[in-house]
Amino acid sequence: MAQFGTDRRRFLVGGAAVGAGALLAGCTSNERPGGDTAGNRAPGGDNAKPGKEVVIGFSAPAADHGWIGAITKNAQDQAKQHEDVTLEVTEGTNDVQQQISAVKTLIDKKVDALVILPFDGKALTEVAKQAMAAGIPVVNLDRIFASPLAYRTWIGGDNYGMGVSAGNFIAERMKEAGKSKPVIVEVAGLDNLELTQQRSDGFKAALKSHGLTIAARQAADFTAATGQKVAAQLLQAESTIDALWNHDDDQGIGVEAAIKQASREDEFLMVGGAGSKRVMDQIKADNGVVKATVLYSPSMSSSALSLARLVAQSRGMNDLVEQEIPTSITTYSAVVTKDNVDRYLPVGFE
Amino acid sequence: MTSPLLAMSGIVKLFPGVRALDGVDLDVRAGEVHCLLGQNGAGKSTLIKVLSGAHQPDAGSIRWDGDDVRLPTPIAAMRLGIASIYQELDLVDGLSVAENVFLGHEHARYGVVRRGDLHAAATKLLHRLGHGEIPARHEVGRLPTAGKQIVSIARALSHDTRLIVMDEPSATLAHDEVANLFRVIRELTASGVAVVYISHRLEEIREIGDRVTVLKDGRTVATGLDAKTTPTPQIVSLMTGRSIEYVFPPRPDPTAGRRAQAPALVLRVDGLARRGEFEDVSFTVHAGEIVGLAGLVGSGRSEILETVYGARKPHAGRVLFNQEPLRPGSVTAAVAAGIGLAPEERKSQALFLQQSIAHNVTAAALPSYSRFGWLDRVRELADAGRQTRALDLRPADPRRGIRTLSGGNQQKAVVARWLLKDCKLLLLDEPTRGVDIGARAELYGLIRRLADSGVGVLLVSSEVPEVLGLADRVLVLREGRVVHRADARDLAEHDVLDLVMEGTHAI
Amino acid sequence: MPVLASLRTGMSGQRRPPADEHTRVEAAAAEAAQPQRRLVLLGAAGEARSLGLIGVLVLLGIVGAVTAPASFLTTSNLVNILTTASVIGVVTVGMTFVIIGGGIDLSVGAMIALASVWSTTLATQSHGLGGMLFSALLVGAGAGLVNGILISYGRLVPFIVTLAMLVSARGLAEQLSNRRSQIVEVPSFADIALTRVLGVPMLVYILAAVCVVGWLVLNRTTFGRRTFAIGGNPEAARLAGIDVKRHTTLLYVLSGLCCGIAAIMLTAQTNTGASTHGQLYELDAIAAVIIGGTLLSGGRGSLVGSLLGVGVFTTITNLFILNNLSTPIQNIAKGAIIVAAVLLQLRSRAASP
Repeated sequence: MAQFGTDRRRFLVGGAAVGAGALLAGCTSNERPGGDTAGNRAPGGDNAKPGKEVVIGFSAPAADHGWIGAITKNAQDQAKQHEDVTLEVTEGTNDVQQQISAVKTLIDKKVDALVILPFDGKALTEVAKQAMAAGIPVVNLDRIFASPLAYRTWIGGDNYGMGVSAGNFIAERMKEAGKSKPVIVEVAGLDNLELTQQRSDGFKAALKSHGLTIAARQAADFTAATGQKVAAQLLQAESTIDALWNHDDDQGIGVEAAIKQASREDEFLMVGGAGSKRVMDQIKADNGVVKATVLYSPSMSSSALSLARLVAQSRGMNDLVEQEIPTSITTYSAVVTKDNVDRYLPVGFE
Repeated sequence: MTSPLLAMSGIVKLFPGVRALDGVDLDVRAGEVHCLLGQNGAGKSTLIKVLSGAHQPDAGSIRWDGDDVRLPTPIAAMRLGIASIYQELDLVDGLSVAENVFLGHEHARYGVVRRGDLHAAATKLLHRLGHGEIPARHEVGRLPTAGKQIVSIARALSHDTRLIVMDEPSATLAHDEVANLFRVIRELTASGVAVVYISHRLEEIREIGDRVTVLKDGRTVATGLDAKTTPTPQIVSLMTGRSIEYVFPPRPDPTAGRRAQAPALVLRVDGLARRGEFEDVSFTVHAGEIVGLAGLVGSGRSEILETVYGARKPHAGRVLFNQEPLRPGSVTAAVAAGIGLAPEERKSQALFLQQSIAHNVTAAALPSYSRFGWLDRVRELADAGRQTRALDLRPADPRRGIRTLSGGNQQKAVVARWLLKDCKLLLLDEPTRGVDIGARAELYGLIRRLADSGVGVLLVSSEVPEVLGLADRVLVLREGRVVHRADARDLAEHDVLDLVMEGTHAI
Repeated sequence: MPVLASLRTGMSGQRRPPADEHTRVEAAAAEAAQPQRRLVLLGAAGEARSLGLIGVLVLLGIVGAVTAPASFLTTSNLVNILTTASVIGVVTVGMTFVIIGGGIDLSVGAMIALASVWSTTLATQSHGLGGMLFSALLVGAGAGLVNGILISYGRLVPFIVTLAMLVSARGLAEQLSNRRSQIVEVPSFADIALTRVLGVPMLVYILAAVCVVGWLVLNRTTFGRRTFAIGGNPEAARLAGIDVKRHTTLLYVLSGLCCGIAAIMLTAQTNTGASTHGQLYELDAIAAVIIGGTLLSGGRGSLVGSLLGVGVFTTITNLFILNNLSTPIQNIAKGAIIVAAVLLQLRSRAASP
């Protein structure tokens, strides 16, 4: 009798499991109606005319972060703008060995140009040199290689400048609010990355030029979970805060959640970093704690692709007098506020 | 004949509550096969352990090649040239044959093993044993048991061994493998190595042995008997009639009034078989009855018990409990039906050593102390306490850790577990192993009282007097078959010994 | 000689002893009930195997009071520490069960990531709060069930199975989320982290509830008793009629369920579901369990100890941030404390056998 009871129970549990499984399976879809491509632009002037057919290889780290995801997506979207370009994208990886072998594969395929965002610039320098030696021009995106011999052109953001922009913006706002000794805190990104140090250095230097200092700084690691954890503790440590700079809008989701959980949304000014569409929408609506964000736009990836095309086709840039593409281009870290957000919304990344 | 290679005299070894060895003499000559005979508990294992340096004797002397020696450690014994090969072969399965042969004294230079030398030397040893076909590079884990035994012997020889102790080497071997082993033993003795050979099988002793020493109750009762010619009845009678008389409780009088009705059939086993373990085993156990299974290691007795219990799945046959077929291979079903097992290896198979006595006692009966899984701990502790007091378990405090108890009291706790579960059939596998003499009588009384209260008991013991003294009916097993069944009162110790050792005795 | 009848009075509740013995039995029960109270104290003392940990906590408290006098010893900071500890605390409860039962679960962090992502896909969010909660719990329990079945019935080693789950569950989470953070758009879900009762966040109450239920299940039910038995000696448990396979499976389901709860908490707290959630939680949880005095080999352990372990780690993080110190030093301190706490326990155990 006892056995019968167990068997029936098992059956019921089994049935429930099957039903629940079917229900769950319906919950995996992530399709949002509509969809737009941000910040891609067809070439203008002479360069719009199709040149020789080129194959461009692309390699970037794993898209485990909104920004990197946008980098890959922007490159793909930009490639669609050029009918003379075929894009070969390798699977993104955070394993240096894997990225090296991905680039080697592209070299073996004899692509016409390479766009590489290395996971670690130093570690991928050798393979990039090999590409250059094989006659394939390399467009180095953002994280820079250790040797100029490893790339034809570098295009990337200005991490130091990003910190400076954030520092200047906050200092100005503090001055306007008449706060002579404001409490300014910083939630940095992954401390192991050089770019985080550069951003912090720029931030510190800009504030110092205005006679201000940072009250507290903690590093998260670019994820929402760590952003929340670190911010919750920072909020505990500083009973009053006047301004907060968060390096990255993705980890900012967590930082904002922590601020909301502490019920301190209206207390201070928060400035973001990188420029996600979510934050820009918030700035535009002016309904959140984030009032501004400092760009470090993944639109540089679209530019990199266009540059690679031009390099491969041996063309120059229309508005420059140079016959050739320059060897380095640094994007500007503009501060996006309510006043100018409409202009930047197209480059905001998901 | 020259002076003996080994002469042990007056060896005494005390364990708490037991004189395991009480004056043993043994002398072994170079190049002979010296057989050691004796019932379980006679002291053979202890003697071997003293000889191999694992135990230190409390009195007595050991002479090796004419010199008095001490064997403080197994390594010391090994250095002298004494090696032991146990039933559970102590080989490392993941290493190669050669690595096993030279384990602990590898041919190495600066810590780097020279594999070429190692393999060559191992191959040479295997050839000497007539087993050149075993590849030295082969992984030991993939060899059959017989092959592993050869590797063990090769390992012993790698130490310049002059005396090898073999503890029931044939128990786990098939017939032709035994013949092969004997060939190896003959080659060893021909080269001057002495072998101390332990076996319960008389026919083997007749075939391979030179001289026989018989142990009983930790003493040498006869030594230097001729292995070929000494008549079987003489050997058996030397082994039987132990001087320590266990007190067995009286059997109930079958003519008494309360047995007027035939007792209910509790267990019926029909044609049960497991390949390579036992075949065609059938028997019954009634309420209030103690049925004993007598047999040697490897005769299938524990396997039968575990198959009835569902811990092993039979290949043929069935088990009926209270007239109902029991689901094969399910311990849970057996326990739910009302069967309990006190297994052979108490510590590793029955006890939760980190827990209290109470938790050990109630482990099988937990559902009866819980409502929707919630434990009634007061009632649980009260019942555990009452049960331990009823069994006179000491210490009586059920909250004490079970780890601190003596073997006998631990066994009582295991029995108590099944009493609390209200079981109708109790399977006892070597219930008195590791239990001292005083506590044994108590356990015997307890088992009989259990039977009197209506429980059916199936008892396995390698001690023939125990089976005969305690059981009502006895089944004698040999090599997985029931060779004889009789009322315990109609069997004498030497009959059973004869049956299990030779299987030729016709009663 | 004990009376034979008492041999067979197995369960007092089921079989009434004869009248003359009745009083004796009651006396025995009373006698047993009285030391029962002492037993509770003893149990508490057993839990205080983790006395060393309480010592460490007190020490950290003193350090905090000295280095950050204004902010450390405040109610709000205490609540803050508890809130921070809540997610990993819930995971640790499940982990304690698994480890006492003789297993290990390396996949907790990955299961959190998967449950958080699954419960925040647009499709799930369209079902509202109920759908999100349900799917998080079910995904956690389901992943645990897969672990348990492979370990019990597939006879695979827990380390391997849960390692495989660690890799594949996070992979699946990445696949589902396309590696993006999925923002929670159901306001009532985010409220789980925002709601405060008596000034204490809901998350802390959830942790408290999970702990109390966990403690009761472990110490007051057959399930808990069997967990100790199986962890201490699986063969003996099997031969005592315990369905070891089913029980082991349930242990992993329990761990998965705790991960589902933790996923809800973390998702509400960060306002996102992400495949990066719960990274290295398995190490934090295992470390907390071990310094809490639970044997890694199973059979002995304490939930209170595990939670103290979580408390110690969280307090360290809090202390370092209050003092504006960097992460590397934090990690060094954590490592040192793991070793120190285990050494302390070994010593106190040796001192009081």
